[in-house]
Amino acid sequence: MVNVRPSLTTRIGQLELAYPTLMGSGCYGTGEEFAPFADLRKIGAIVLKSVTRLPRLGNPMPRIVHTSAGMLNAIGLQNPGIEWYLERELPKYSGRPCKLVGSVAGFSIDDYAYVTQRLAARSEIAAIELNVSCPNVASEGETFGCDPGLTARVVRAARAGTDKTLIVKLSPNVTDICAVAREAEAAGADALAVINTVRGMAIDVEAWHPRLANVSGGLSGPAIRPVAVLAVYEVAQAVKIPIVGQGGIETVTDALEFFLAGASAISIGTANFTDPRVPERIVAELEAYLARRGCASIDAIVGKANVGFATPHQYEGDEG
Amino acid sequence: MATTDHTAAVHETTVLERHELAAGVIHLSLDAPQLAGATRPGQYVMAIPPSAQTAATALAVYEAEGKRASLLFFVTGKRTRELAELRCGDRLDVVGPLGNGFQCMNNARDVAIVAGGVGIASVLLCARELLRDGARVRLFYGARTAELLVEAQRFADAGCELVLTTDDGSAGERGFITDALERARKPEAIYACGPTPMLRTVARIATELRIPAQLALEETFGCGIGGCWGCVVPLAGHSSQAPSFPPAVRGGSDVVYARICREGPVFLADELRW
Ligand SMILES: Cc1cc2nc3c(=O)[nH]c(=O)nc-3n(C[C@H](O)[C@H](O)[C@H](O)COP(=O)(O)O)c2cc1C
Ligand code: FES
Repeated sequence: MVNVRPSLTTRIGQLELAYPTLMGSGCYGTGEEFAPFADLRKIGAIVLKSVTRLPRLGNPMPRIVHTSAGMLNAIGLQNPGIEWYLERELPKYSGRPCKLVGSVAGFSIDDYAYVTQRLAARSEIAAIELNVSCPNVASEGETFGCDPGLTARVVRAARAGTDKTLIVKLSPNVTDICAVAREAEAAGADALAVINTVRGMAIDVEAWHPRLANVSGGLSGPAIRPVAVLAVYEVAQAVKIPIVGQGGIETVTDALEFFLAGASAISIGTANFTDPRVPERIVAELEAYLARRGCASIDAIVGKANVGFATPHQYEGDEG
Repeated sequence: MATTDHTAAVHETTVLERHELAAGVIHLSLDAPQLAGATRPGQYVMAIPPSAQTAATALAVYEAEGKRASLLFFVTGKRTRELAELRCGDRLDVVGPLGNGFQCMNNARDVAIVAGGVGIASVLLCARELLRDGARVRLFYGARTAELLVEAQRFADAGCELVLTTDDGSAGERGFITDALERARKPEAIYACGPTPMLRTVARIATELRIPAQLALEETFGCGIGGCWGCVVPLAGHSSQAPSFPPAVRGGSDVVYARICREGPVFLADELRW
């Protein structure tokens, strides 16, 4: 056993975090909304709601449906657009006791380049997350993240505009997430966020129409956790840059799965809608876990899931 | 609307009493002195599921007095079913009080409160405050059946005059509560909570009568505290409740999407652009 308190500090690119916990984009507002119920000093960073070049009203209502083990959302990237955001919103966020990561969404390579460059220039913003994986905007939204080549172009364009840490948020709605991950890394990403929401749909069987006005939405919460853990595990084998694992994390056990699968930090989204005390609880329990396991720091468990633990059996003569 | 005072917090409460008022209609009284003291009419809480699974549920604070705050809700799905299973002595954590509630201080002396179904849970505190202020209060209360017309007597005891309707005619008049409202003496102001179609009709009636109406909107919430933009309603750009957002022009006037949970849930009928 170690006697010193285990260290929870971590680094994502140049982003130094006091805690390895980020609050998922679009799930934590600006932090101000949660401040009465959660101690913002006990979280690593807030990933702000995605911003686009022009203002967006977002999708019609309903935008949210609760499902068996999670929820579907189709907000549709409602945001005031980058100019308004920089002028009137961002100044209000200074003085937060945790780091702020800006999230950028776009409809063209040029959008990503422009918004990233403008946003990253601001001192309130410690790092940039590229949301190339929003499933809730008509046509283009997710196409960037679903195409390795386009992802690479977005990342290169954004990279040209900033030296700050660039996190690329990957979509699970792809055939080969590792291919996208490798392209993002090669194009200059400092880290990867794995995963964004999984596309889904729910239908009202009395009204005979979809429950979301947008028809489809992004599934989040515990329902997607096993999908996310596997994605983190596989991406961790494919790239060398750090991973921010997310998808359905509600408890310390959930968080540990992601670290063991290869995530250097985690992100908590939907669980904040269940209980705003979740992030603080996870951090306290992570520390207790590391102490119990004799680990000096969170880094000690990253990617330590041992996959060679089972002995394979096969019929004689079977080549497998 | 009454603005949020910053007394919202996470409260660890204990269930003092639980009553099933009708099949699937639950009234939970909680030992929650701080919540009771801070709650204004029309505010709500996010009830944290005891299982810690799935999202919290937005529930109006029905009563708030002394150390007791109560919740009245219909069992409509998994989340409310879990809350319905709570028993006396069980713990329930709630986040609140949340939202901008009814502004009860106005000069109206003859007021109509319109409640549809579970909307009744949002208006008791409002009725009491209006009555305390000396107003004459008529409660127009509609439900599907007589059995679901819960708590009407409590409003009568508080001093409200009752106008009741049911869909099947099993109590009060048969038909929509908004029809009864239209037939009744013109009030000076309306306060309403219920399903969206009912609220739209109330808004139309208020416009025709040229009287102010405050509507408490109901929607499926994500976070319930303004963090996710999952609960919006179009609002006139000039509304004092409009959030900071570039207005869109619709039909020649400025419109913004306001969060029902944060800028609302109570809005002025003539400022909604739905
Ligand atoms: C209501 C809601 C809004 C979201 N908005 C965004 C967004 O604007 N940008 C983004 O990159 N991800 C967005 N997400 C995805 C989350 O940040 C997160 O990656 C995802 O929900 C999985 O994590 P979780 O299961 O912990 O919520 C949103 C999720 C939800 C539930
Ligand atoms: S429910 Fe999240 S902003 Fe209203």
